[in-house]
Amino acid sequence: MKQLRILLIEESFIVREGVKTLLSLLGRPYSMEECEALSMGLSRLLSRIEPNIVIVNPILLKDYSVYPRKINNKAVFFVGLCDDSVDKQLSGRFDFVLSIKDDKVSLLQQLEKILEKANFGSNHQESNTLSERETSVLKCVALGLTNNEIGEKLFISTHTVMTHRKNITRKLGIKTVSGLTVYAILNKLIKVEELQITVNKEDE
Amino acid sequence: MRIQKDLKMADVIHMNHHLLHVINRFGIQLGFGDNTVEEVCRNYNVNLDFFLEIVNTYHDPTYFPLGDLQKFPASMLIRYLQKTHQFYLEVKIPEIEVAIQNLIDNVAFEADHLHLLKDFFNNYKNELTDHINKEEQRVYPYALALEHQLANEGHLLEEGLVKANYSIHDYEEDHDDVESKLFDLKNIIIKYLPSPLESVRFNSILHELFELEKDLNNHGHIEDLILIPIVERMESEVAHRIAK
Ligand SMILES: [Fe+2]
Ligand SMILES: [Fe+2]
Repeated sequence: MKQLRILLIEESFIVREGVKTLLSLLGRPYSMEECEALSMGLSRLLSRIEPNIVIVNPILLKDYSVYPRKINNKAVFFVGLCDDSVDKQLSGRFDFVLSIKDDKVSLLQQLEKILEKANFGSNHQESNTLSERETSVLKCVALGLTNNEIGEKLFISTHTVMTHRKNITRKLGIKTVSGLTVYAILNKLIKVEELQITVNKEDE
Repeated sequence: MRIQKDLKMADVIHMNHHLLHVINRFGIQLGFGDNTVEEVCRNYNVNLDFFLEIVNTYHDPTYFPLGDLQKFPASMLIRYLQKTHQFYLEVKIPEIEVAIQNLIDNVAFEADHLHLLKDFFNNYKNELTDHINKEEQRVYPYALALEHQLANEGHLLEEGLVKANYSIHDYEEDHDDVESKLFDLKNIIIKYLPSPLESVRFNSILHELFELEKDLNNHGHIEDLILIPIVERMESEVAHRIAK
């Protein structure tokens, strides 16, 4: 199962905690970002977080007439957290509506359905295996090359190197250079002997 | 659940046995009987409010102190932090080293891989030791000097402090996290080492790593969220007095 990214935008602390509790009861893998308000614009927030699902209080989006349905080519679902006071016109813009007055069981059922849909929609998403490019970047990192050196060697910009590194870390769950080195050796991407030649450069 | 002064100390430990380490650092020994947290603290001459703050931040990483943490003297905090450093260097790190050596000696497993882990951990140990030394030789003495200065009202240290041209801001800037490597080590063992025949033998080392990581997390938290603000306040107080 893929890990969904959920963005929760809601003013009320109690409601936010409630949504989080319900989600955690579902036992599906997801990561969560939460905001109390839309301090930056909606599209900026979305492109920074790249969520699959946005759970949001419609009142906070009242200034927007359309919501983006795709972020960087990935589908995003909007779930409105509604109570009776939200009018139909506003709630109609959402892919799903959660009524905060519903009981626990029906809320859980609805959430389950939403996560299922979003999971299906994001099926074509990347898995946790490294791409070819990422693997070559990883080799260089493990050998102790700096971002600049890697860029020169692979003919890509330093910025691209950094993006690859971020993705590598996210996919493998390894953050430090020495950790990546051990990973590379274990997976026979590099040999211990190669390492000795490139004078052990320390992290960062 | 928040830990309050009226709870029995024994119940606190039943609730979260990880707190044993913390209690040790305050010099508190087992055998609480039915004494409450407050009574135990009194018996051991431990500042109750301070104890509660430390125990609660350890118990619940999302704990948000309601009281004024800055009321505690820097020296009190530093005494605790130093005890914690001592625990890492004298107890925890050697324990993990022994666990790794045990694996090497007893497990029929590709020795190369285990030596890789050993080297990795050795590197980590050096890094942590440097981190701690910097704090003990530079940051803590600076904080204590400020406290001393403020207590003595004198102008004796003033110049030394100003000349040192150091401020807690420098520490804040490059106070790096020492947990990342531990996290990686855990993940490498859990996910990426080829399956050993007896995984059981890896359990104790993983337990140790999880525990050390959690402890370091809390320790860094206390340095960032309690020590730094206290020192900042003292700095501005001293600056204020010099200006006068
Ligand atoms: Fe420290
Ligand atoms: Fe530290």
